[in-house]
Order: sequence, then C-alpha cells, then structure tokens
Amino acid sequence: MLQYVNVTIDGAPVRAEKGTSVLDTAIHYGICIPHLCHIPGIHDMGACRLCIVEHVRNGRSKVTASCTLLVEEGMVIRTNTDRILKMRKNIAELLVARAPNSKAIQDIAVRCGVTEVRYPFRNENCVLCGRCVRICKERAQANALGFIGRGKERHVDHPPGKLMDYCKNCNGCILFCPMSVTPCGGPMKKGEERLCGKCDSQLTADARKMPGVCVWCELGKGFQCSRYLAV
Amino acid sequence: MAKINLDSILEGRRSQPHMLVEVLLDLQDQEGYLPEEALKTVSKELGVPLIDVYRVAHFYKAFSLKPRGKNVITICTGTACHVRGSDLLVNQVRGQLGIEPGETTPDGQITVECVNCVGACALGPIVIHNDVYCKNMTPGTLRRKLDKAAGKKKEAKDA
Repeated sequence: MLQYVNVTIDGAPVRAEKGTSVLDTAIHYGICIPHLCHIPGIHDMGACRLCIVEHVRNGRSKVTASCTLLVEEGMVIRTNTDRILKMRKNIAELLVARAPNSKAIQDIAVRCGVTEVRYPFRNENCVLCGRCVRICKERAQANALGFIGRGKERHVDHPPGKLMDYCKNCNGCILFCPMSVTPCGGPMKKGEERLCGKCDSQLTADARKMPGVCVWCELGKGFQCSRYLAV
Repeated sequence: MAKINLDSILEGRRSQPHMLVEVLLDLQDQEGYLPEEALKTVSKELGVPLIDVYRVAHFYKAFSLKPRGKNVITICTGTACHVRGSDLLVNQVRGQLGIEPGETTPDGQITVECVNCVGACALGPIVIHNDVYCKNMTPGTLRRKLDKAAGKKKEAKDA
C-alpha cells in the first residue's frame, strides 16, 4: 500500500508518495526546479547540483540537492529564495564555462539567469553528469560505462579491450547525453566560446514573473526536462 | 600458476561483492600489480561488473594496473620535504634513470613514485625503498641507492 507524507514546498502544502525525491514531487506538482543529471525512473546521484533547494529544519536551512533528498513528513522546502537562485546561477555559470558546446547547458544557463561567464572557458566534452553511466547500468543493464579515475582525472570510460564486448548498442548513452546537441549556431571552436543566450526570448514573461512555477518553457526540451520526458 | 594463486585469494570470498577491495589488495601484494586477466576472473567470481572493478582499481593509489619494478622508490614531495630539497631528488632520478615519477625503468628493476606526505617531516627529505624509510636523503645518497638497486641485477646477470 502506498504511504503518503505531507510536505511544504515553497509554502504550498502537497502530498507526496513516501520514498520519492523532493525533485520528483516538485515536478509532479508543477514547481520548477532546474535540473540536468536527473532522469525519471533512474536512480539519482546528485552530480550536477543544479537542483539545490533549501531544507528548513528547526528554523535553520540547509542547502542540498533535491534529487537525492527523500520526502519526509512535515518537511519544509524552499526552491527559489534569493540565496538558492544566486548559488544556482553560479553553478550554471560553471557548467557553461566547462562545456559551452551544448544546447542543453546553454539553455540551462539562460534558464538560471546567467548573463555573463566570469570563468575561463574549458570547452570540454563532458560535464560528468553520469547520465550515460546510469542509463547503461540501469536501463540497458550492460555495465559498459563507468567513471574512471578521481579528482581532475575523472572521466567516463569503458573497461579496457573492446567496447563491443559489453555494449548492447542501445544508444541510450548518446540519447541522454546533454552534450549530443550543439548550440544553434553550430559547434564553437576553441577560443570563440561564448554564452549563447539567444533563447532568452523563449523564456516567456510568465516564467520571469513566477520563477518557481513550471510554465513548460521551451528550454526544458533542450535539456530533456523530466517534465517533458514523463509525458 | 597465477591462476592457482588467484584461487587461494578468492577462497571463501566468492560471490561477495563487498570483498572486492580485500581481494584486489591481496592480488596487488602477490603480483605487484593488477593483471587484466586476473581482474576479469575477480569480476566473474565476485559478481561485480568489470567496470566497477576498474573503477575501484583506478580510484585507490594502492593499486597499480601496470607492472611495477622490483625496487619501488617512493620520494616524498610534501611541503617539509620539498623545502628540504626533495625536488633535487626527483631531478636526480630524472637524470640518472631517464624516467619520470610514476614510471618504471625499461628493464623492470626500479619504479619511482612521488607521494605528498609520509608523516615523517622532521626526518625529511624521505625516500621509501621497498617499505624501508630512509631519512635525510641527498642526491648523492639517492644515487648510491639507485646504483645498488640497479647493480644487483648486473651481478645476477654475470653469475
């Protein structure tokens, strides 16, 4: 039997299934929490940190990733306080500085209100969101991909030898990779990276007026917002 | 022969994924590195995906995936040892053996590694030669030590 708990998100009392994450609950009730590494139905690992929220307990608030935070009875969550918006903007800025060659990440940066990038562009091909790794492990059950190394050397790789020994050719890793779609202007070469920002106009006035509400913005399609995937 | 030894390591640990690190440590002790074939057997016997075995083997510095030399020379490059001149020791190795830290000499005799601190800062610069700590090293003493380590092999060849 399903058990339910009562949670307050942004002041709205909602009822959530026990065992779901705060992010899933918020998306279900139409509260917009930007996210990147979350895929519905796949275990979360809290890699991108975009979905941070404030968890208020005993008058103190703690900032955590909402995708790995499970709902509890009487929880109080705030998703768009000034503090959170500032931190989220900074995280999005770091992501776009690391990998500007992705429509999904450029869209997220616009969605989180990034207007300039203060960090040097790295132009890397991976943001270590772990979507491919988890799809490979949980949906394809192939275990062909994983994180190798640690710290600066951490990267996604397959065991030595031929990839084809493990890969089931499901293409899930490519489908769910945020780097597989380049920005609208085509791939950026080294030295000419920039913040795209063209899709700013697609953020309708509604989205700005009601920052915490999901208005099904067009930008969600770019990074495969789980609202779109769930439909 | 390697396979028989692997059997003794795996004894009583089969189908227990949580024993992975222990098995890899024993394998590292026995072989000096983690051979690819052995990792495949470990993955099969413990029921751990091969990629997870590699992830763990890459994560911990105690494991090495490349064969290591008979003599492992570890140079401490922590703050105290650096101030007392450990960079001279590293340069001595570069000049004498022609290898960078982390590499092995082509004849498989000496592996040189750098670590950040071994907790004996007062005795620095420290060099660890096969688990033996040598204090107050200078490029001269290191040169003699390396000569000795490489020379042992020459004598064995002559005999």
